Amino acid sequence: MISLAIPTGALLAGSLELLGRSAVVTLGPEEIGRQLLVERGGIRVILVRPSDVPAYVDHGAADLGIVGKDSLVEFPGSRYELVDLGFGACTMVVATPERSPLGGPSTWPPLLRVATKYPHATATYMRSLGQTAEIVRLHGSVELAPLVGLVDAIVDLSATGTTLRENRLRVVAEVFTSTARLIANQAALKRRSPELQALVARVRAPRA
Amino acid sequence: MRATQEALLAEMRSWGYRYVVTPTVESLAVLERGLGVQQRRRLFKFADGDGSLLALVGERTVPVARLIAGKLRSQPLPIRLCYSGSVLVNEAGRFSRRRESHQLGAELVGAPGAVADAEVIALAVRCLDAAGLRDYQVDVGHQEFFAGLLAGLAVPTQTKVDIQEALAGRDLVRLETILADTSLRTAEHELLLRFPALRGGAEILEAASGLVQNERSARALEDLRRVLSILDGQGLGGSVQIDLGASRDFDYYTGVVFEAYGGDLGRPVVQGGRYDHLLSGFGRPAPATGFVVHMDLVGETLQGSPARRALPSLSAAVAWSADGLESALRLGSSLRLFGMRAVVDTQPRSLGAARRWSAGLGANHLIHVTGAAEAAWQPRAGRLRKLPPEQVVGRLAGGAR
Repeated sequence: MISLAIPTGALLAGSLELLGRSAVVTLGPEEIGRQLLVERGGIRVILVRPSDVPAYVDHGAADLGIVGKDSLVEFPGSRYELVDLGFGACTMVVATPERSPLGGPSTWPPLLRVATKYPHATATYMRSLGQTAEIVRLHGSVELAPLVGLVDAIVDLSATGTTLRENRLRVVAEVFTSTARLIANQAALKRRSPELQALVARVRAPRA
Repeated sequence: MRATQEALLAEMRSWGYRYVVTPTVESLAVLERGLGVQQRRRLFKFADGDGSLLALVGERTVPVARLIAGKLRSQPLPIRLCYSGSVLVNEAGRFSRRRESHQLGAELVGAPGAVADAEVIALAVRCLDAAGLRDYQVDVGHQEFFAGLLAGLAVPTQTKVDIQEALAGRDLVRLETILADTSLRTAEHELLLRFPALRGGAEILEAASGLVQNERSARALEDLRRVLSILDGQGLGGSVQIDLGASRDFDYYTGVVFEAYGGDLGRPVVQGGRYDHLLSGFGRPAPATGFVVHMDLVGETLQGSPARRALPSLSAAVAWSADGLESALRLGSSLRLFGMRAVVDTQPRSLGAARRWSAGLGANHLIHVTGAAEAAWQPRAGRLRKLPPEQVVGRLAGGAR
């Protein structure tokens, strides 16, 4: 039995479509959404929050996982990142209010206040620029934070930019781009190599 | 846990590895000489009264290396040492792992070559057996195999650094991207791409040697072939797999490396390999290899297994009544002299009470001493016999353990 963790949210549809197309397992979003854990044809599929997929894989509760690159950057660990699955493309961006004088990194004040759901990725990025930053960790509606004066800027994922525009924010810097990835537990990849490699090959095949 | 630890150390000692005790607190400067940047960051540091910086050890190979280059300087190489102790790391991360964990390890310093590599791998396998682990697997790789491939690539140095980083981070997507940007399409290039799948038995070595064109990788394959054949000769080939992708910690390891996985654990329980550069940092350059057993992970694995190791049982429970105390104490000492485990009671008991006490202790023999020359001896599930204390020792030491 191979277990595979897949994320709720934006990557769920793409994950299920990929699993069906590569004949790993056919699952409807309603079925997995209702049961959270489905075993079928030698595969156990577990549905968890996107940010929890790395934990399930790192600890070996899942052999494989599908997860956005953003979560992998945010939660460093010892898993193998095997395949870029191509779907779920989005960009981690720095955005400021349209009316703010702040533009690119050169215009930022000595201490930048930033709100984000990704404090680790944000800290790494700010450090790479040599920018001192006060990072405020929020759990949702990050777009609101600069509008009410909590912070100067936000670091968040953006797929189309619609949410940012609706909240009158503009992108002033790109941190990295992200797509869905197939990851594997380090021990599982070694101990159950033939099974996992066969599955990885199937997932890889239809894209090539 | 304690029993497992003793079993492992006994195995190591029986291979001629001397047990050493190294300090838990070291001068930071000493530890820094042997550790990479990441490891240094994770040390717990503090200052003493003079303001000199100290740290708690985060692993124990570096302290052992210092011992060999320092106190044991006059001892001829090779030296075989083993150790057991706590290590402390400040793991700032999402998964708050335990800060303190227990490591047990063996180091073979001063011996180059495949025979020494095979020795520590064989010892690691025997240790896993001694710990009572079932269904484990040891993966053996070689740092030079990958280093040779990398050196042979006609790409800028920065690209090589990127490749190394991607491999160390197990990021195969990034690796693919980097390699796609280089215009090379050689057999060696293909090897790099197939990196995590290069696992198996001796056939993997054959397949790979058909593809490599550089001296270093070819020599690495030859090393691995020798190690594998030595292990095969000892009947250990079945526990060992070749994994050419098992390179890691490029700044530290220099040759054959290995990891053991057991149970359903998501992390290796044993990690080891050749580190020929470490000792030179302490002024006594010497080739070296060794491994560490993560005892907490061994414990976790054993917990789930049905066959748990029982403590070696108690040989004798010595009870006494009336005037028997002095004689009972002497009897206890004599039994221990013969290598038996004996408990002497701390209060007088009647024979009936002594039987219940002995059964509670799980002792193999009950001896009830009632006077200077009077005792009764009863083996578990045997009948009671009256005889003088001296004769009890003779009977028990004579094989009736």
